[in-house]
Amino acid sequence: MVDSSNQTITQEAPPLDELKTGSPPFTSLVQQLTQIVGQANILYNADELLVYECDGYIVDKSAPDIVIFPISTEQISAIVKLCNQFNVPFLARGAGTSLSGGCLPIGGGVMIVLTKMKQILEINLRDRYAIVEPGMVNLHLTNALKGTGYHYAPDPSSQGSCTIGGNIATNSGGPHTLKYGVTTNHVLGLEAVLPDGSIIELGGPTAETPGYDLHGLYVGNEGTFGICTKAIVRITRDPESHRTMLAVFQTIADATRAISAIIAAGIIPSALEMMDHGIIQAVEEAFHFGFPLDAGAVLLIEVDGLEIALDEEVRQILEICESCNVREIQRADTPEERQLIWKSRKQAFGAIGRLSPSYCTQDGVVPRTRLPEILEFIEATSKKYNMRIVNVFHAGDGNVHPILLFDERDQEQIQKVLEASEEILEKCLELGGSVTGEHGIGVEKINFMSRIFNETDLDTMETVRNIFNPRQICSRDKVLPQHQADEKAGVVQSHPARRAPH
Amino acid sequence: MSPTHSGSLEEFVPASQTELSRFMTDNAEAAPKQLFSVGGRTSLSVCCPASQSGTLICMSQLNRVIDYPVRDMTITVEAGMRLDQLTEIVSAEGQRLPIDVPQSNRATLGGVIATNTCGPRRFSYGTIRDYVIGISAIDGEGNLFKSGGRVVKNVAGYDLSKMLVGSLGTLAVISQVSLNLRPKPETMSMVWFAFESFQNADRALEAIVTSGTRPTAVEYCNSKAARQIAAESRSELPSEHQIVCVCYEGPANVVNWQAERIREEWKEFSPLSSQIVEAEKATRLYNAFTEYQTSSDDPVTLKAVVLPSQMMKFVEAATELNIAVQAHAADGIVFGHLPDSASSLEDVQQILKQLQKAISPQTAHLTIYQCESEWAESLPLFCAAPPGWSLMQQLKQALDPQQLLNSQRFAELVEA
Ligand SMILES: Cc1cc2nc3c(=O)[nH]c(=O)nc-3n(C[C@H](O)[C@H](O)[C@H](O)COP(=O)(O)OP(=O)(O)OC[C@H]3O[C@@H](n4cnc5c(N)ncnc54)[C@H](O)[C@@H]3O)c2cc1C
Ligand SMILES: Cc1cc2nc3c(=O)[nH]c(=O)nc-3n(C[C@H](O)[C@H](O)[C@H](O)COP(=O)(O)OP(=O)(O)OC[C@H]3O[C@@H](n4cnc5c(N)ncnc54)[C@H](O)[C@@H]3O)c2cc1C
Repeated sequence: MVDSSNQTITQEAPPLDELKTGSPPFTSLVQQLTQIVGQANILYNADELLVYECDGYIVDKSAPDIVIFPISTEQISAIVKLCNQFNVPFLARGAGTSLSGGCLPIGGGVMIVLTKMKQILEINLRDRYAIVEPGMVNLHLTNALKGTGYHYAPDPSSQGSCTIGGNIATNSGGPHTLKYGVTTNHVLGLEAVLPDGSIIELGGPTAETPGYDLHGLYVGNEGTFGICTKAIVRITRDPESHRTMLAVFQTIADATRAISAIIAAGIIPSALEMMDHGIIQAVEEAFHFGFPLDAGAVLLIEVDGLEIALDEEVRQILEICESCNVREIQRADTPEERQLIWKSRKQAFGAIGRLSPSYCTQDGVVPRTRLPEILEFIEATSKKYNMRIVNVFHAGDGNVHPILLFDERDQEQIQKVLEASEEILEKCLELGGSVTGEHGIGVEKINFMSRIFNETDLDTMETVRNIFNPRQICSRDKVLPQHQADEKAGVVQSHPARRAPH
Repeated sequence: MSPTHSGSLEEFVPASQTELSRFMTDNAEAAPKQLFSVGGRTSLSVCCPASQSGTLICMSQLNRVIDYPVRDMTITVEAGMRLDQLTEIVSAEGQRLPIDVPQSNRATLGGVIATNTCGPRRFSYGTIRDYVIGISAIDGEGNLFKSGGRVVKNVAGYDLSKMLVGSLGTLAVISQVSLNLRPKPETMSMVWFAFESFQNADRALEAIVTSGTRPTAVEYCNSKAARQIAAESRSELPSEHQIVCVCYEGPANVVNWQAERIREEWKEFSPLSSQIVEAEKATRLYNAFTEYQTSSDDPVTLKAVVLPSQMMKFVEAATELNIAVQAHAADGIVFGHLPDSASSLEDVQQILKQLQKAISPQTAHLTIYQCESEWAESLPLFCAAPPGWSLMQQLKQALDPQQLLNSQRFAELVEA
């Protein structure tokens, strides 16, 4: 049994394996969980569980033994306490759009799905915060704020489906992070059920709370510090106006020079997204936006702010683009034209489907000025492996998303994708960057951790995790490599299949 | 406040991160002594109470630039770098760290991070936590660890920098940081408004939420604070009244347009007077606001963090107690300087009690920000246990198991 101080655990519980396949302890656990959430909110038949065997990262699969849909913090606390009692691992799942296998239930166990906890608990405009349940879909918060003059700024490309709890766990970014920051910059406080079942509050609605910034530490924990059950998030004034442009360049080098020059001029665009030659071709084939097929790169540039400020910013941007040999600039003068420009960016992934049966989206980061080098390297890698790689990404942040195109029916190609991805990420590190800007380590990139951090760094991170999750019972074998016991984890990258776009 | 140490304090001045780490490892292994990291010593008496003995780790020589890729707008520096040094280096490139730091000619980056110092501009730019993208630090046992990196977007591993920001040097000595920088705006200006009634000032502050302008800072002061700020900045604030001061930054035409516009918008709140203060004078006034929060002539400085909508209630109560009040109003961060008449510990405790009545314990936090050294040990730093307190204690225990880093301070000052 577990006591609430999260220390004493009497190991009367059977090992996990015995819990499976209708064993008496399994039946007992199911019964007790059912008492907590009701028959309608629990799944444990093998075929029903299949949907939950992976998230947006479909390379590895491992089904949970039980999937449960709580509707309150108290239910989650009770579920977690039972899991401790039965010595069963558990983990949280939001919308399951993770691209790094964050929702992979390694070793099975109980998956706690939060999509039924999706209420807005409070919106306070004067004090500029909203309190929401963790299963709330990101975009729904902004929709609920429409007309108030406020919105929720973090906007991952998956915002139409991903949840705020998932965003907090992964510290999500998006096209607008260049100006507005990532999720952690917008979280004021939260409530969480710790892995021992106790309920805690961190931070709060005020601008700051005394003591250590534990909610800041919590953001980006990838589900390993317990389950977020409530979030207090900052809401942001809508910009009065925006200007959107598409700049077409002959070469990637010119486009990346323009990126650095715009920012060096003191302009922080609200979005600065790049599409390379390969993706332009695909988009043009699919949607006929009128992009020149021989262009090396296209930049989507958006500035926002007060109406009175924008024309001057646009003038400067045009001048900079000119000095970087821009071939042509399309400006959106109406909301419809703006939408059309954004459509070319947002539908880029849809267009890839026409190019290849499968694709794999990577997520590396380099300092902005090293973009030409990493893009050159990606091109060289593409040649080396004789594999098409296209790029559409958050250029202003140096966050590249090379998309490797392949056919997952061909084992040899799969191997090549793995090797090419590895080389590209290595190169990101060599250029002073990181192997993930927004998708997280999860299980996908766990092997990179010991290349980025030394043993002391990892030990310190482990020490910190142990404060929240001393038994490693919550979201096992994620993020830190020390705990990746291979055979238990069953995480062997077999094949990188088609991954969700971004 | 000048530190007065009755205990015996040695000094250690490391010349490198490695040397510091070795020193701390050695210390942890043999008859460990208490360690107090210090930067500019602008707040030493608060965090290092008089009766302590141990070793001061002086960070002043760890002040180098490690890497400044200008066009990436990031910089990596050692934590002992003074804020004015940093400002000078990045300013030459048209960049800045948009954090207001009092006594920036002494305060160090490590100190700013350890205390989570911020000023008026936090309304639009956030705090230092929003700019630290990578951090290195050494824990009580001498382990040198890092998290983050040098790129602006990175989610590899846990964000240990958040844990260290505001940790008051109790978890680790911060040795090196990577920061995200911002472009320096072309100009700034301010508009001050004088209000007779708390109610009108409050209505004006509420209107910030829907203003057609986008202020970078919104400062409030009651008349007692206004007098001092006016004197300090040599400006003509009508100091017999409360003042709300709205600041704008950006291109000159945009700044000017906003300053005019807010005056229009706020007519309906019947200010007694208002004035636009431009560039140079505005900077002086702005600096006075930044410095005033740590002005150290008063026996005690309090800091209250409340919801902006609850702020005026607290301000009224404080004003009645003859406290000089300044606030980063749109964020609900209030500094109160107690009058000289609060001449004994009992007086101060009495005032604290009164003030506590004016705030709601769920959504407001009162802390002692600075006080006379001889009271430092008797006044609680936090007036109530913050949310997550037991986790905080565990964190402290895990990173500093021998309780060597500024420990008494952290442990004793909480009246849970
Ligand atoms: C088309 C597409 C586009 C994308 N674009 C972006 C992008 O622009 N930027 C970006 O950052 N990411 C992007 N992603 C990745 C993904 O959407 C984000 O990581 C998102 O935050 C995941 O949210 P979710 O609700 O789907 O979480 P899930 O996938 O369900 O879970 C992700 C992780 O969070 C944990 N978790 C979920 N909820 C909780 C909770 N309440 N408490 C504790 N832990 C929890 C899970 O255990 C898991 O580790 C994209 C993905 C797709 C498929
Ligand atoms: C409890 C407290 C809260 C404060 N809050 C604010 C605030 O909200 N706003 C504001 O404007 N000012 C605040 N200050 C004042 C602030 O300390 C100074 O403005 C300045 O930032 C401190 O820099 P310094 O280099 O002079 O630090 P010092 O006065 O030398 O040290 C201050 C604190 O920081 C720690 N410290 C210094 N360097 C390091 C390092 N490298 N690693 C780890 N710890 C270190 C010290 O141990 C000490 O606890 C606060 C001061 C204190 C003591």
